[in-house]
Amino acid sequence: MKTSKKTIALALPLMLAAFSCSKNNNDNNPTNNTLQAEVLANISNNVCTASYEDMYAKTQTLLASVQTLNTTTTDANLATARANWKAVRVTWEQSEAWLFGPVEADNIDPRIDTWPIDFNAFNNALTGTDELNDAFINKLDDAAKGFHPIEFLLWGQNGNKTAAQFTTREKQFLVALTQNLTALTKDVRDTWTNGYNKQLATAGSGSTEFSTQTLAFVQIADGMAGICDEVANGKMKEPFDAQDPGKEESPFAKNSTIDFTNNIQGILAIYQGRFATDGKGIEDIVRANNLSLDTEIKSKHAAAIAALQAIDKPFGEAILTEQSKVQNAMTKVNDLAETIDGKLKPYLQQYTK
Amino acid sequence: MRKTTLAVLSIFVVVMLLQFACRKVDSLTPVDNPDSEWLSGGSQTAFDQGSGAFSHAFSSLPANLERIHEIGDAQFNATFVSAPAPLNPGLGPIFNNVSCGSCHVSDGRGKVPGLGESAANMLFRLSIPGEGEHGNPVPVPGYGDQLQTRALFGKQREGDVTITYTETGYKFADGTSYSLRAPTYTFNSLYMTMPGNVLLSPRVAAPVFGLGLLEAIDENTILTNADPDDKDGDGISGKANIVWDVYSQKKVLGRFGWKANQPNLLQQVAAAYNGDIGITTFLFPKESSEGQTQFDSAPNSKGYELSDSLLYSTHFYVRTLAVPVRRNVTDSKVVEGKALFTSAGCIKCHKADMRTGVDVTLPQVSNQLIHPYTDLLLHDMGTGLADNRPDFLAGGTEWRTAPLWGIGLTQKVNGHTNFLHDGRARNLMEAIMWHGGEALSAKNKVNNMSQKQRDALISFVESL
Repeated sequence: MKTSKKTIALALPLMLAAFSCSKNNNDNNPTNNTLQAEVLANISNNVCTASYEDMYAKTQTLLASVQTLNTTTTDANLATARANWKAVRVTWEQSEAWLFGPVEADNIDPRIDTWPIDFNAFNNALTGTDELNDAFINKLDDAAKGFHPIEFLLWGQNGNKTAAQFTTREKQFLVALTQNLTALTKDVRDTWTNGYNKQLATAGSGSTEFSTQTLAFVQIADGMAGICDEVANGKMKEPFDAQDPGKEESPFAKNSTIDFTNNIQGILAIYQGRFATDGKGIEDIVRANNLSLDTEIKSKHAAAIAALQAIDKPFGEAILTEQSKVQNAMTKVNDLAETIDGKLKPYLQQYTK
Repeated sequence: MRKTTLAVLSIFVVVMLLQFACRKVDSLTPVDNPDSEWLSGGSQTAFDQGSGAFSHAFSSLPANLERIHEIGDAQFNATFVSAPAPLNPGLGPIFNNVSCGSCHVSDGRGKVPGLGESAANMLFRLSIPGEGEHGNPVPVPGYGDQLQTRALFGKQREGDVTITYTETGYKFADGTSYSLRAPTYTFNSLYMTMPGNVLLSPRVAAPVFGLGLLEAIDENTILTNADPDDKDGDGISGKANIVWDVYSQKKVLGRFGWKANQPNLLQQVAAAYNGDIGITTFLFPKESSEGQTQFDSAPNSKGYELSDSLLYSTHFYVRTLAVPVRRNVTDSKVVEGKALFTSAGCIKCHKADMRTGVDVTLPQVSNQLIHPYTDLLLHDMGTGLADNRPDFLAGGTEWRTAPLWGIGLTQKVNGHTNFLHDGRARNLMEAIMWHGGEALSAKNKVNNMSQKQRDALISFVESL
């Protein structure tokens, strides 16, 4: 839920100044509206919308595998379900680099990714006798549904649950929770395919959400910087500062560092305009005038990813035993944010209309 | 993402000078600083017009205070769960939502529920006629002063409210049609009998940015604008609400909330924790359910659930959220709209300029020229908008002038344009046309405007 809080665009006042002195300072620059429109259309359709399509598809795969696990409870089927859960997480965490639009405004994030789990509500549901159907799951609080309760059921408290340990009720609950997650990922997908994709793609030419292309680009840059802030100063820093593994997200699957890495990976996806397919991205606008900025963004991004990947223990352990690696990763992610916020955003404000 | 404040400020100063330098002399109007109008929050204005526009910290916080703001941010968005739990315990037993941020989404305005949906971003104040010992509304036996629409597993929620709307068509003087929807509220699923004379007031979650600046306005500055008996005969009264300060145990000026029924931010935050989430604090150490069947008194060694430091961090977070910069200030349509806003008289209550008082403890809010478009006073808004539920000195038809700063970004940040205390207005023009009472003359002037003028007026409000 955090956005980049401390971003004071140095650029906007500069722009105001520039505008007050000249009618239009964009006439002299080589990037053009056609390229910008192409970039926005590609990002909107082939990155953002494609990611939500992908998440919905992967959630359906997850659902099929937990249904299989329900009927044929073997360790092999459990392993498949776990792998499918992680696959959905890859897409979801990447998409957090463009957490604007309906996902944010419609408050979808808390409904699928609330942490912590309310274990009292969760256990009550598990030990109760209500039929575990859609209506029942819908009535549950956010903190008892979504990714993490599913994660808990698949992995168990210590991450070493076996198929033999599943109760019938747990399996039913798992299926019902996954059905609910599937419905919500469909909602997310639909909000994009039913109009928000056009809002972003047609920025500056008919979009009611973005009256200029610049506004859309700034929104994208804010999303990129925002996820850095969330990772470095929230998701990582809070458990780290408190030295409390209990504050870690995704602890059961030991997936936190992978989550963070995918968050940061999403930044490159939208920057390069490349999700499943490769198309025009922000990089094409940057490269038109400033190759060194392009290099800086890519090298800082690579440094952030490398620093995250250097954390080899599960995050809950790493905050206690690999502190310099964790600190280094937070620093590198903040460095990347600094460039996005301090250089990329002003660049986009200057070179787009 | 830490910024060097000095650099920002110095660039700013240079920019101001630049702008000043290249402006045509004849376009200068006699104001102190031609750029101040852009800066709704004075030096604490955030330059973001995207979906995160309401979520920026003050720009010039030193690193230690910035960290407190960050901790408060995490706390504001922390999901509470039922006790016992290792992280964020204490939810309920009855509540409206699980975190501050789940009503004040992106620090902005709550959305009204669609047909058949439960109210997630709004709440219902309750009372029975009369006055409590501090002039406060009298709580409803068995319900308190707020309807909690959710409960923990095994507990009964107090009930819920069904909202239905009645559409009525109207015409502007030029013949253009418009329609207003009037809400009707009906209780459902009540856990016990509700007295027949209950008074109910719907309240949408309000934006939370800029509140530290509003709190920094001197009481005298606010009272200067008060004219409860309309001695100047302009048809506009402006009344201060006088409310109960729980900490100082005194009656003081009310500033926050739709009826200005909270004296300060700390009490506002603590009351919301208590009433909305079921979290007790040193200011409100009793559960909202105490005395009701949902209450189970698990004795707590600390006496209350949220530590003082976390409460203060949340308080500091909302106190230090910056105000978004205005857009399109010099656009000719916006300029025309501003003139219409002024000539129609809207500006009499939605005051453009306020100056905060001197505060040496938080220099960021000290002595700032801000543009909140509110006088923070109560006004009679007519029977159409009335909730008929007095709240301290605020009568049944009276509401506090809502700040308009940032209002044009509601769609961008919150994905909707529902305005007024209960979100009944579906766009800014509907909100204007709901005005009555003291605002009737201003509304009539808008009614008589041409389509072009009305468009200009809306463009102006959207630029705020």
